[in-house]
Amino acid sequence: MVSFILKRIGSGISVLLAISFIAYFLLYFSSANIARNILGESASLDQVHAKEIELGLDQPLLTRFFDWFTHALQGDFGTSWFTSQGVVEGLASRLPITLTLVGVSIICIAIVSTLLGMAAAVKRGWVDKLVQTGAVLGDAIPSFVLAIVLVTVFAIQFQLFPATSSIAPDAGASAWVASMALPVIALLINGVASAAQQIRSAVIKQLEKDYVRTLRSRGISETEILFKHVLRSAAPAGLTVLSLQFVGMLGGVVIIEQIFALPGMGALAVQSTTMGDIPLVMGVVLYTVIIVIIVNLVVDLINGWLNPKVRVS
Amino acid sequence: MAVIAATAIALTACGGGTTGPSGGSAGGAASLTLASLQDLKTFDPVDAHIGHTMPFYQAAYDTLILRSPDGKLSPMLAQSWEYNKDNTVLTLKLRSDVTFSDGAKFDAAAVKANLDHFKEAKGTDAYQSASLKGVEVIDPATVAITLNAPDPAFTYYLTQALGLMASPKAVGTAAIKTTPDGSGPYVLDAKNTVKGSQYVYTKRDGYWNKDLQKYNKITIKYLADLTARTNALVSGQVDAALLDPKAGKQAEGSGMILTKSQVDWHGILLYDRDGKINPELANVKVRQAINFAFDRKTILDQQFLGQGTVTDQVFGPESGAYVPALENKYSYDPAKAKALLAEAGYPNGFTLKMPTLAGFDAVNAVYSQQLADIGIKVQLESVPLANYVADMAAGKYSAATFQLYQGEPWVAINQMISTTALYNPFKSETPELAAMIKAVQLGGEQSDELAKKVNEYVTDNAWFAPMFRLNQMYYSNKNVTVVPQLQQAVPSIYNYAPAK
Repeated sequence: MVSFILKRIGSGISVLLAISFIAYFLLYFSSANIARNILGESASLDQVHAKEIELGLDQPLLTRFFDWFTHALQGDFGTSWFTSQGVVEGLASRLPITLTLVGVSIICIAIVSTLLGMAAAVKRGWVDKLVQTGAVLGDAIPSFVLAIVLVTVFAIQFQLFPATSSIAPDAGASAWVASMALPVIALLINGVASAAQQIRSAVIKQLEKDYVRTLRSRGISETEILFKHVLRSAAPAGLTVLSLQFVGMLGGVVIIEQIFALPGMGALAVQSTTMGDIPLVMGVVLYTVIIVIIVNLVVDLINGWLNPKVRVS
Repeated sequence: MAVIAATAIALTACGGGTTGPSGGSAGGAASLTLASLQDLKTFDPVDAHIGHTMPFYQAAYDTLILRSPDGKLSPMLAQSWEYNKDNTVLTLKLRSDVTFSDGAKFDAAAVKANLDHFKEAKGTDAYQSASLKGVEVIDPATVAITLNAPDPAFTYYLTQALGLMASPKAVGTAAIKTTPDGSGPYVLDAKNTVKGSQYVYTKRDGYWNKDLQKYNKITIKYLADLTARTNALVSGQVDAALLDPKAGKQAEGSGMILTKSQVDWHGILLYDRDGKINPELANVKVRQAINFAFDRKTILDQQFLGQGTVTDQVFGPESGAYVPALENKYSYDPAKAKALLAEAGYPNGFTLKMPTLAGFDAVNAVYSQQLADIGIKVQLESVPLANYVADMAAGKYSAATFQLYQGEPWVAINQMISTTALYNPFKSETPELAAMIKAVQLGGEQSDELAKKVNEYVTDNAWFAPMFRLNQMYYSNKNVTVVPQLQQAVPSIYNYAPAK
């Protein structure tokens, strides 16, 4: 178990290294006008040149990457070229919001899709058809369309929720709940589809297995069979989908954050990439990769715990 | 200096002031919440920029001179000012009852510290101190600013970034980037301010001018996305926001009040008057032909829902350099355009490469089509926003569609007509134009009037193909009265008051 975790961390670090370099490499080619963009339209050519030298933009790629990397190893991700705010500081204020949004959404999706998938698998008939149709619809409608409809109906028309995020230092937990409600619902409707389908298929397959018949013949209740035994075996399929969704959501939540004006990572990522703010972009890339590695590791461990057959020795 | 209201980069970030469900207005009469298209990058006045971010600075800092909504100058930190005979020395008499939020006293030495630092720091609006030669402290309440040449716009600059006065203790420090230190009507509430999301200011006790301090609390929320901004306004989370004609319909449907003003002109800048990339553009008849090719009224109605005024000149009506006769000089006349092209020696037209930007795609498609109708084949090349201005400034393109704000005549001349102008990348110039520009510079009180000649020259010679002046669609709810600020993308912070 420990060696498994260590091996995964080891491979995670090499993934981190590879992605940092690739990201830096790609950004290198977009640094043409950064100095001009930082200084503004009325800066003279001399000023622009001076700024380029100050930021190290005239150095070759490997020198710049090595410089950034050695600093990053010490935890110094530098400061944003545009706002002079520390990169770590900037990310630290944004990360909780995105992680909360994505985390809560995934948990809600997990619960709802499990219930729907199992209902569809067990009841079959019209429940099954309903869930499947609903799933297709939910998947087909883009999340931002859902978001806009939800805002128009529940925030503007019925004034039940704030139209844009009201998360602020002076606002309490109620502001977080109120601000996250609609975004989570939008992501939920979209994400339940595929997860529910996967769980439904997995549960159907499990219900056909011999051990279920054996358990029934021993007199164990249907509910216990379903939730204690079948679900554990069906879980890996669902977990795989959920972990893929989590990773996809980290990036895909950008538009949702935009519509609800949530000050999360998505906003920061797009803004810093558009402007070419390399320290900030690298910070975002790194944090995202680290989160993905951790999530994948955790999912594997959960899988192993749930289902000994899957465990790696 | 470009104000691209309708084509703001789609991006988010926001924060809120009200906890509970929306609908609660952004506070009572004592509190004002505004939505901003742009985020404040730094509180350092040295990097202040005209346009959308001015209110952030105005809340915390005073300027030497105050610009009223109609453009007139009135006393602020400077009680009076006077030029010497040849307009090279400006003497300012200062207030002596002002202190900064850190306790330091405002006096001539503070002015000197600010201006000297502004010039040396070469910030975003460094051009405002281009003619500044030196600052001399005559006595604590008098300061003499020497210019290296007359600058008709200098007193205007003292109402903008150049005029923002920070405490001498904070000038040039790293701290001022994140924490403002000025003498303004409000102080930043750092605890409730979230960078990139919302900025909260509270009323400053002991501020010297109660008339400019109409609220107890001001919150500015950064809402770059138009949908989020509209929703925030319509649901009561913000009191006022800049929208566009289409989003405006939703705001109007919810009872928001529209305040219109014209700040930008929109059109095609015909940079290559010397024919370096397109020899055809060196011929004035070709440029005039281009001006005759467009059905400006229809384009305005279709693309911008009629929100604007058709124009053929780049100077604005309030600028003093405006010439009513030039307004409709170039009618929609494709036949005449083709004839002019033939006279110039291009009966079969020519090819023109122009950059395009997300946001201008729709209008550029129309412009391309109408130019094709007179024989000019346009090749549009997509350019990312981050490179657009830089590429134009580098002289990569012979013409480009853009929107620029219409400033005071001397500002406008330095923006796009003089040889040092950013929007004159090929440094086009003629002896007669140079003489006219010089006359404006040395004209003193007559500057604006003399600028009419420059206006006539660039319009007759079709340096540009202006299309229209666009309306800024500023919406506010009924808790607030607001007056637009001349030549500024959004109203100054002083222009808001609780509705009676």
